[in-house]
Amino acid sequence: MAFFEQHIHSEPKTFLSKYVFSFDHKVIGKQFLWYGILFLGIGGIMALMIRWTLAFPGQAFPVIGNLLFPETGGVVPPDTYAMLFTMHGTIMIFYAITPILIGAFGNFLIPLQIGARDMVFPLLNMLSFWLAFISGVILMASLCIPLGAAAGGWTSYPTLSTLIGSPGAGQTLWTLALFILGISSTMGAVNYITTIIVLRAPGMGYFDMPLAVWGLGLTAILNAIFLPVLGAGLLLLIFDRVFGTTFFLAGAAATSGTGDPILFQHVFWIFGHPEVYILILPAWGITSDLLSFFARKPAFGAKATALAMTSITILSTVVYGHHMYTTQMSPLLTQSFMTLTMTISIPSAIFFANWLGTLWKGSIKFPTPMVFSLGVVFVFGLGGLTGLYLATVTTDLYLHDTYFVVGHFHYTMAASVLLGGYAAIYFWMPKMFGKMLNETLGHIHFWLTFIGLNGVFMGMMIVGYAGMHRRLYNPFVYDFLERLIPLNTFVTYSALLMGVAQFFFVANFIHTVFFKKEKATDNPWEVGTLEWTVPSPAPVYNFKEIPVVKCGPHEFGNPNLTGDRDYQFQTEELV
Amino acid sequence: MNNAIEVNNIEGRKAVSSIGMTVLLVSFAMLFATLLLGYVVFRLTNDVWPPMGLKRIPLTLPTISTFIIGVSSLFFYNFEKAFNRNNLKMMRLQFGLTLLMGVCFMLVQFELWSSMKELGLYVSGGAYPSLFFSLTWIHAAHIVMALISLFFLVPTLSTGFREDRITWVMNVGKFWHFLGLIWLVMYIVMFVY
Repeated sequence: MAFFEQHIHSEPKTFLSKYVFSFDHKVIGKQFLWYGILFLGIGGIMALMIRWTLAFPGQAFPVIGNLLFPETGGVVPPDTYAMLFTMHGTIMIFYAITPILIGAFGNFLIPLQIGARDMVFPLLNMLSFWLAFISGVILMASLCIPLGAAAGGWTSYPTLSTLIGSPGAGQTLWTLALFILGISSTMGAVNYITTIIVLRAPGMGYFDMPLAVWGLGLTAILNAIFLPVLGAGLLLLIFDRVFGTTFFLAGAAATSGTGDPILFQHVFWIFGHPEVYILILPAWGITSDLLSFFARKPAFGAKATALAMTSITILSTVVYGHHMYTTQMSPLLTQSFMTLTMTISIPSAIFFANWLGTLWKGSIKFPTPMVFSLGVVFVFGLGGLTGLYLATVTTDLYLHDTYFVVGHFHYTMAASVLLGGYAAIYFWMPKMFGKMLNETLGHIHFWLTFIGLNGVFMGMMIVGYAGMHRRLYNPFVYDFLERLIPLNTFVTYSALLMGVAQFFFVANFIHTVFFKKEKATDNPWEVGTLEWTVPSPAPVYNFKEIPVVKCGPHEFGNPNLTGDRDYQFQTEELV
Repeated sequence: MNNAIEVNNIEGRKAVSSIGMTVLLVSFAMLFATLLLGYVVFRLTNDVWPPMGLKRIPLTLPTISTFIIGVSSLFFYNFEKAFNRNNLKMMRLQFGLTLLMGVCFMLVQFELWSSMKELGLYVSGGAYPSLFFSLTWIHAAHIVMALISLFFLVPTLSTGFREDRITWVMNVGKFWHFLGLIWLVMYIVMFVY
């Protein structure tokens, strides 16, 4: 697949060209990682404030409450509550998960795993990060302006998000920030797709790529196609807010003319449903690889897994209507969307069975990345199954907009992707920073996070099933929800546990990156994919010689192997 | 600057560049497709079009725009041909004409917007004028981007054919023709139909 020769980088000399405006995909990946982890912390604190308000309404948020809300004595005020859940959703989805999995690991893994020296368009790559940076600054700035940040929910449905629902500049800045982030992600996507097509090492067919690259590539395709759809919606929303157009204002809300608020929902979900797969596909790919690496077995049906992910990618584009069953859609449409949505469970079941097949009779080891991957298998299974209740029109009409939905999408999008992201961080740490994270702290981190998140999201599903709606500042003003206070308190304690668990990670991460002296070996996990054939941390030029690929990425436990290795590198002929 | 990827093989570089550009154009196409989808939804859900007794926009100015943008595409095509043959004189002429046509297109668009205001169609006057203003604005913003990208080709006017500029010419050309095509679709869907 060599379209051209790739030359060896010269090492950048100055601080600026080495760490700030770097063209090196590994440095850009690390920049995205720090960016994502920072926003993960901010979004996490927001989540804790939301939970605190729901469990202890009218009580001051501990420690930083008085600092943030001095006028109410530390209690989260109602309008701030709306801003918190809006910004929590936005930050977690677009500024934490996307940068960590797609920005950081997309950049870091794609060239290393396909045997390239860099991305095909390094300049575009750098611009992509700095646009994302500008977008993040705009979003955070919107928190500090009069009338505060956007408060229309992360979906920002009109008329909540038009001037009538949110008159402040916060919503405009939110829209602008997301538009810029969309441009940044599209640039990244162009880069990823072209890199995967043209820079694969000689001998590497598409099915010889690790499944992580499959996941990232499919994500990039969805990004390139569907982010502009959101972009169009956001542009029209900006026009509505700034130039006084009336796309999304209807009825009495509009001064004249007939806009259509539902149109924004359509546009948003045409993008929004692929977006949930944009988030989860890299995590699936990474998990599929890690399960095989630590079960010391070839990935069961790797080809089927890749094709199942591809068909999910295709199907994800035609099911968006299941977010909108309650918008008075015609029954014919709801039935069609329901059927199409149910169809997704077929490929999902295929690769889920393949995960279990990979584990079956493997000689499983349990280092931190593996326990996180097994965590993904568990939470994704649960999240996927609860999705069926929401895909079915009859049950969805009852469950729509309750905490059941919140629990479901946190299981799939938050829990699975978070655990997948952590698995990736623990696994590729030696290649990124040249040092191993502490295993004991990693296991503590995993178990506390895992118990915490199951408490939180399982609890959310139960209160949702009991009828508690999302986005209510104080649901307990309703008599029938008063009995849910203890359960909500439990959820909040679980969330606090999950929050505490992250300190183990942060301490571990900071210590390892900055203070740990002990270097990792080149191939600490004994895995045969291309990135483990180069020194740790990977040198600027990645590969001294462009490798020639001779076998697949998951060649473990081959009985013909002689010597003390149970794996073989992709550069070796299959024995 | 470190040139991570230096390419000796022109065919390879052209292929890489067109793959990247194709993906990018798919993205742009989705942007306009969504906008046109929005237009079609409003168009089909209104029994009377234009609604609320508003006036239809006369075809004259949009037709002139369509003609101009078509001709500019032709000029750019000639520029590309002259570039590949390294015909410096022809290159300058065709480049100048492309640029001129681009600017003319923008002028006609401004004329279109002011004529719409004279018809009593204001941006905030309901969904119908909103659609026409917003969609033409967004298209015009892309034309401005394309005009700026044309200036990246100015160095070739003194040097003639250069191997390291070949993908630039190709990509700007693709973008330019793409915007012409989008305008043609907009013209048919919005103004003619």
